[in-house]
Amino acid sequence: MAEKAIGRDIAPPDLRAKITGRARYAEDFRAEGMLFAKLLLSPMPHCRVRRIDASAALAMEGVVDILTADDPMMPEITGVAAEAALTNEPLYEGEPVLAVAAVDETTAANAIEAIRVDFEPLPFVVDPLDSLRPGGPNARLDGNIQWREGQTREIREFKWTDADFDAAGPDRLPMGEPQVEFNIGDVEDGFGDADLVLEETILHQSLSHHPMEPRSVMAYWQNGKLYLHTSTQSTARTHASLANRLGMDQSDVVLVTEYCGGGFGSKISGAPINDVAAIMSRKTGRPVMLRITRYEENSIGRARPGFQAFAKMGFRNDGRVTAIDLYIVQDAGSYGSSGDFNTAGSVATLNYQPDHMRFRAVSVYTNTPPRSAQRAPGGAQIVAMLEPIMDKAARELGIDRLAIRRLNAPGEDAWLGPNRGTLTSCFAREALDIGAEVFGWEERSRLSGTRRGTKAIGVGIGVSPFVGGSRGMDGLLVIRPDGKLYIHQGIGNLGTHSIADTGRAAADVLDMDWNDCEVVWGDTSRNLPWSSSQSGSQTTHAHTRANHAAALDAKAKLQEIAASVLGGSPDAYDCGDGRVFQASNPGRGMSFADAAQRAIDMGGRYSGHELPEDLNPMTVASANNLAGEGLIGVARDNYGGEGGVWSWVMGFAQVEVDVETGKIDITEYTGVTDCGTVLHPRSLAAQIHGGAVQGFGQARSQKWVFDPQWGVAFAKRFYTARPPGILDVPLRMDWAAVDLPDPQTPVGAKGIGEPPIGAGAAAVASAVADALGGQCLCRTPLTTDVVLAALTGTEQPYRPLETHV
Amino acid sequence: MTEVEIIRDRGPRNYSRRKFIKGVIAAGATVSASSYLFRGPGVLTAGQARGGVERLMTLSVNGQQRRVDVLPYETLAMTLRYKLGLTGTKLGCDRAECGACTVHIDGVSHYACSMLTHQVRGRAIRTIEGLESPDGELHPVQQAVMDEGGFQCAFCAPGFIMSMAEFTENNPGATREQCAQALSGNLCRCGDYNKILNSAERAVEYMSQRA
Amino acid sequence: MAVIRDMIPPCELFQPASIGDALNLLDQYGEDSWVLAGGLDSFDWFKDRIKRPEAIVDLGGIEELKGIRADGDGLVIGPMTSLTEVATHPDIVGRFGLLAQAAAEVATPQIRNQGTLGGNLAQDTRCWYYRGGWPCYRAGGNICYASAPKAMNAEHCVFGASRCVAVNPSDTAPAMIALDAQMVVTNAAGETVYDAEDFFIGPGIDIERMTVMEPGDLLTAIRIPGTWAGADFHFEKIRDRQSWDFSLVTVASAIRTSGGTIQDARISVNGVAPYPMRLDEAERAVIGQAASDDTGIAAGDIAIRRAQPLRHNAYKLPLMKNLVRRAVRAEV
Repeated sequence: MAEKAIGRDIAPPDLRAKITGRARYAEDFRAEGMLFAKLLLSPMPHCRVRRIDASAALAMEGVVDILTADDPMMPEITGVAAEAALTNEPLYEGEPVLAVAAVDETTAANAIEAIRVDFEPLPFVVDPLDSLRPGGPNARLDGNIQWREGQTREIREFKWTDADFDAAGPDRLPMGEPQVEFNIGDVEDGFGDADLVLEETILHQSLSHHPMEPRSVMAYWQNGKLYLHTSTQSTARTHASLANRLGMDQSDVVLVTEYCGGGFGSKISGAPINDVAAIMSRKTGRPVMLRITRYEENSIGRARPGFQAFAKMGFRNDGRVTAIDLYIVQDAGSYGSSGDFNTAGSVATLNYQPDHMRFRAVSVYTNTPPRSAQRAPGGAQIVAMLEPIMDKAARELGIDRLAIRRLNAPGEDAWLGPNRGTLTSCFAREALDIGAEVFGWEERSRLSGTRRGTKAIGVGIGVSPFVGGSRGMDGLLVIRPDGKLYIHQGIGNLGTHSIADTGRAAADVLDMDWNDCEVVWGDTSRNLPWSSSQSGSQTTHAHTRANHAAALDAKAKLQEIAASVLGGSPDAYDCGDGRVFQASNPGRGMSFADAAQRAIDMGGRYSGHELPEDLNPMTVASANNLAGEGLIGVARDNYGGEGGVWSWVMGFAQVEVDVETGKIDITEYTGVTDCGTVLHPRSLAAQIHGGAVQGFGQARSQKWVFDPQWGVAFAKRFYTARPPGILDVPLRMDWAAVDLPDPQTPVGAKGIGEPPIGAGAAAVASAVADALGGQCLCRTPLTTDVVLAALTGTEQPYRPLETHV
Repeated sequence: MTEVEIIRDRGPRNYSRRKFIKGVIAAGATVSASSYLFRGPGVLTAGQARGGVERLMTLSVNGQQRRVDVLPYETLAMTLRYKLGLTGTKLGCDRAECGACTVHIDGVSHYACSMLTHQVRGRAIRTIEGLESPDGELHPVQQAVMDEGGFQCAFCAPGFIMSMAEFTENNPGATREQCAQALSGNLCRCGDYNKILNSAERAVEYMSQRA
Repeated sequence: MAVIRDMIPPCELFQPASIGDALNLLDQYGEDSWVLAGGLDSFDWFKDRIKRPEAIVDLGGIEELKGIRADGDGLVIGPMTSLTEVATHPDIVGRFGLLAQAAAEVATPQIRNQGTLGGNLAQDTRCWYYRGGWPCYRAGGNICYASAPKAMNAEHCVFGASRCVAVNPSDTAPAMIALDAQMVVTNAAGETVYDAEDFFIGPGIDIERMTVMEPGDLLTAIRIPGTWAGADFHFEKIRDRQSWDFSLVTVASAIRTSGGTIQDARISVNGVAPYPMRLDEAERAVIGQAASDDTGIAAGDIAIRRAQPLRHNAYKLPLMKNLVRRAVRAEV
């Protein structure tokens, strides 16, 4: 018996390359005759290009070509609020207008400087509430919201009334007509049942993803095919979206994306900017490198949408939530249709299981960079917003803050959303209990409000659920005559180690030593199967299933081959240690190497010449290329299942707030997860802790600043945007997992990328409020200025709903 | 909005004063300007001021002497990545903020994005590619990272490892807290600091075994 | 709002080996020259293509500008000495720990390895309007964007505004003032010695400069007198991140007490004005008083008396007040 791969710490197969500098990210590739492209960005938040004078630039020695939005070679991007790579009507400061290619980057930069663009300023808005005012500016010429009704999608102008604003006053959220609304029960009945009702105005900032690797791209064309190196979270899905954007057949695009220097939701599938390198290369007939700078990354690189919100929660005396009334105004940025606000509503239902709830929201375009999913989109915001209110309720009701969470936490009968969807599994209470134990809640909560010198101690809990799975993807494996198992992965290598870890499902089904398994990934010319996107924490769930299914297919073929050679029925055979053998007589069997050779000889389904009919065309194309090279295991995940797949992290934090300076130290952190079966403990710990660190940034330091008069962004440097450094987090962090399998998936594993961030953010927000004696500031980030103003009773630096500060 | 336009119109102030003759150096064993980055401006001749730095220089990188043609305003990160092919040194911000480009100059950690190559003439440069021994044995720090399961996206890894190598080579018995201070010039956006510190502590241990 | 980021525009680089050669170059190129110390401030300007010198004069090869040596009962520090060396040199750590601590809290280890004491002292402001290339007063224009009614100015000044509301970001500058340091500035005409307090200037004197130094000037030595050697020092820099962040408010103080009574004091703050401020009034108020929290509170109140906060930075008042309080009271 080979040692099971699932549940062990095994270094990922790409680690050595990563730590020796050999791993090649997009900007590390070179090609003969490569040109450098450079972008010209919009200096204004909203404007129209009236005229471009590039004559001086094009006359410069070494300048090869220019690409503008009008170039006939640029793909036509259709769809409501769809985003092209270059535009003649920039919707935010920093949006790319044109690109120049030159023989070197300095020349390209000089050329950009020599281009004169005549911009006509257009009305702009950076605060959603300003846009909702009667007569307020719209971010787009055709309106300020994306209206959705049935299949209809259109940009509309959406305004509230003066009465809506007057009723709220300056510092409370006006609540005019919502764009979306759902009701569960009757929220007023719920407040009628309540012994305590709390009401808060809440601000949650927008924040950039800041992946370490900017989305640089290098492209060239050869024999009619596009070869493109870029930084993306997904491989198969990016391949598809890239081909689709460019109007090409997927088979004419080779995407190389062996490594991705972080995405966090900002690089799910192909970035629009990829078009620039692809088309510039087609136009010039030469390879083109578009090195994206940090400044550009912070313009085009996406951000989590911020919320301006109202939350009212009713509680019984025992702490049970009776009703939630939630109103969210989402900053939708300039493009697309970020669904964070809707997800936030659903997560609120799941987290507190209220009998009565009203959810209202409007998502308003602004002339700020495009938003996208960021780890737990909507979820991370809402738990950071509502968990401190749970604390406040517990404090007012005189009950323990862990107890109030246990009481409200979903159990076996968990549901979510207006349609009361069910879940495949939920061990939220178990995770809370383990967390209380590991963190030492009972002891630590006694420190609450105590002092260490000038430092007030606070402890907090953040309950954070998020989706963790999808179904129906393909697995593709080859057992070659060398006896090794080749696990082909169409999933991207975004740093979660899932390219390897999901493959363990296949190794264990075949009882193969992990050392005899090779992972094939990151280059679509290497025959990769169709996959989920690497977003929404789908991958662990989707691809342990797909690889499991493909491995069962391979195993059945091994058994059949063995039976045909050695006699008896296929069921009499088992697999282990690279052999297929008779269970009753293990000595009688054959090696995988021999079986692979037999499979090639036998052809048909064994060698991949016949394939299941339900595979995605990408998998079929890859399997066709592999046919005859070994025993092919290939299958679509048809395991099915009922309900949504959700995972949890319970964050427990301890902070010290210096009452004289407002400085916050996060001194302790424990994250405990329910993500089903643990595939790879150390990697799981990294997700829990890494997500928490991002959550610490969200709760405490990360800024997204605009000058409201000029509509121009400031926090575009790391030192102004302030993502956490190594000294801003606890010196040591702890973790644990419930480690109970999800019963609806063969390996039992659920995804875990998303929930850690909300857990970290909410636990810290809750702990800071605790250190402040229960004062919930109801805003993020809790920067030194905000905290000190609260501690000293000084005027707050910002009004409660003042955004982009 | 007129001010915004004015800013855009601040043209190159002195650029036109310089007279560059464009071309490409052809130079035998030299890594020439026909490498990728700075091909355009070519050789400075008539316009070149007396006493300015000589472009052709020898760099000592990972124990090797490399002849290379370097423009006066070229950063070390660019020379390493685009002229010497040492792409392990990453550009995360190009502004001395993230540490992904950390290299050693005479054994001391620097941000390669924020020094001119001409500033390190005659000094010993070590990059991530130079940490392994010639026979492929990992540096104790790399081994420690390997044994702790390493980084996530790892774009920051070369920089972190270089900082960790300098620190552990010079500070036997360092504590976890001292390691954190030493690594505070490197940013990891995956937030993998806990594992990075586990690796650093293990590296301290491996270094002491090696000593 | 610069157009191009991250490619330095073509220019010439000079690497003189002596102060004399450097001065000749600066004289020759005048306003088109740029003095390069560690470069960490300079490269930002170049990469943003906002400052476009014709000639960069790299001081890295001038040995006489480096090193720390005894000078009577004080020290002379070469301005090209790295911040790491300043933070770890036994004479500085042992006798002028205030400066060592200030240097140790600059940015990050890599920056301290390369950044110099002179560069840290002479660095430009971090006002994000000015840094972004906006044509403000400091950039030669005729407006201050940061003090406009809707401007984002949480990190701007509460004292010393004069058209410009930027702050001095240096961590070592207030330590220099607290230690009564002197700056030796040399140019073609000779040498001038400035008290640290006078070396840093506000926009009322010259809105385009942070120090007295003009084109053609070089900072050639930093003298730390023995006056405050071994005094009770307090340095505290409050920032939102614990590495690579500029201070919101910093306090640096040197105090001599006897039997619990303050005999003499120097208190300086940075991050609150366009220049590091010496708090003379607060100093006078604490001399002769007990080194107690009450004295600290009184000193803090005096320190912020004439502060004029902008729209978003009123928090700097309690912060500054409390930092002065902590500097004065003996514990913490």
